[in-house]
Amino acid sequence: MINSNILFVDNSKVGIERAKKAFTTLGIENTLHFAENDVEAWDMLNGNHKISPVPKILLIDINQEGVNGIDLINKIRSHEDLKSILVFVITSIDNEKNRSEALNLNIAGYIHKPIDNDNIDFFSILYNYWNIIEYSSEKK
Amino acid sequence: MIQKLVNILLVEDDEVDVMNVKRAFSKNNIKNDLFVAGNGVEALDMLRNSIVPLPRIIILDINMPKMNGIEFLKELREDESLKNISVFVMTTSNEDSDKINAYNLNVAGYILKPLSFEKFISSVATLKDFWSLCEM
Repeated sequence: MINSNILFVDNSKVGIERAKKAFTTLGIENTLHFAENDVEAWDMLNGNHKISPVPKILLIDINQEGVNGIDLINKIRSHEDLKSILVFVITSIDNEKNRSEALNLNIAGYIHKPIDNDNIDFFSILYNYWNIIEYSSEKK
Repeated sequence: MIQKLVNILLVEDDEVDVMNVKRAFSKNNIKNDLFVAGNGVEALDMLRNSIVPLPRIIILDINMPKMNGIEFLKELREDESLKNISVFVMTTSNEDSDKINAYNLNVAGYILKPLSFEKFISSVATLKDFWSLCEM
């Protein structure tokens, strides 16, 4: 898999710890950056705390209090240097409005959050998928 | 997760590649309905005139006659009724410009066709696992 940064937007400590553990268990070496909400994520993509190089993959838990995921994806899609980011939306509840809005923003996948012990399988499938796809080279 | 089987449209001009996709689907027990268009023009016609039921997934080749994959993608993304379809590029083109253009038009993945059929089956298996996670 390409050596790209991955940005994970999740405001729960448990969610972050599980992701870290899954990455370690699966031997995923990509640097995982965390943001607690859309504002912090935007700052890491286009503000004072910009991650370099720009992550090619963004995971966002969309139905959390204080996280406006649709707004963030909208901004990403409207930004010339960020619009190509692969966005994987994770959710723990059914929300037809969010699903439909996210799909309209051409996310790569709208995914239901795994129940506790499926976490490794979940990240394993995602990681395998990230491994079969090609990425464009870094922007000069 | 219980998945309803979404329709898939394959846009591919090479008959051997069409056959390979069908075989790989069969080997992986993928039972979704698969419709085939020979190029971008044909695919847009099929989608806009309801010749096929609206697919949730399009598997797209890049190098095709009449209208190539990138030109097709541009049209698709500008069409209000079609723009939210998930597109997976499956091509032999390893050109960086094709990858950049495809990701700028927000494909869900850009997959290089492997040289061996066994590897292709394995890639399709991975794709199937990924689709099973997603709500389309």
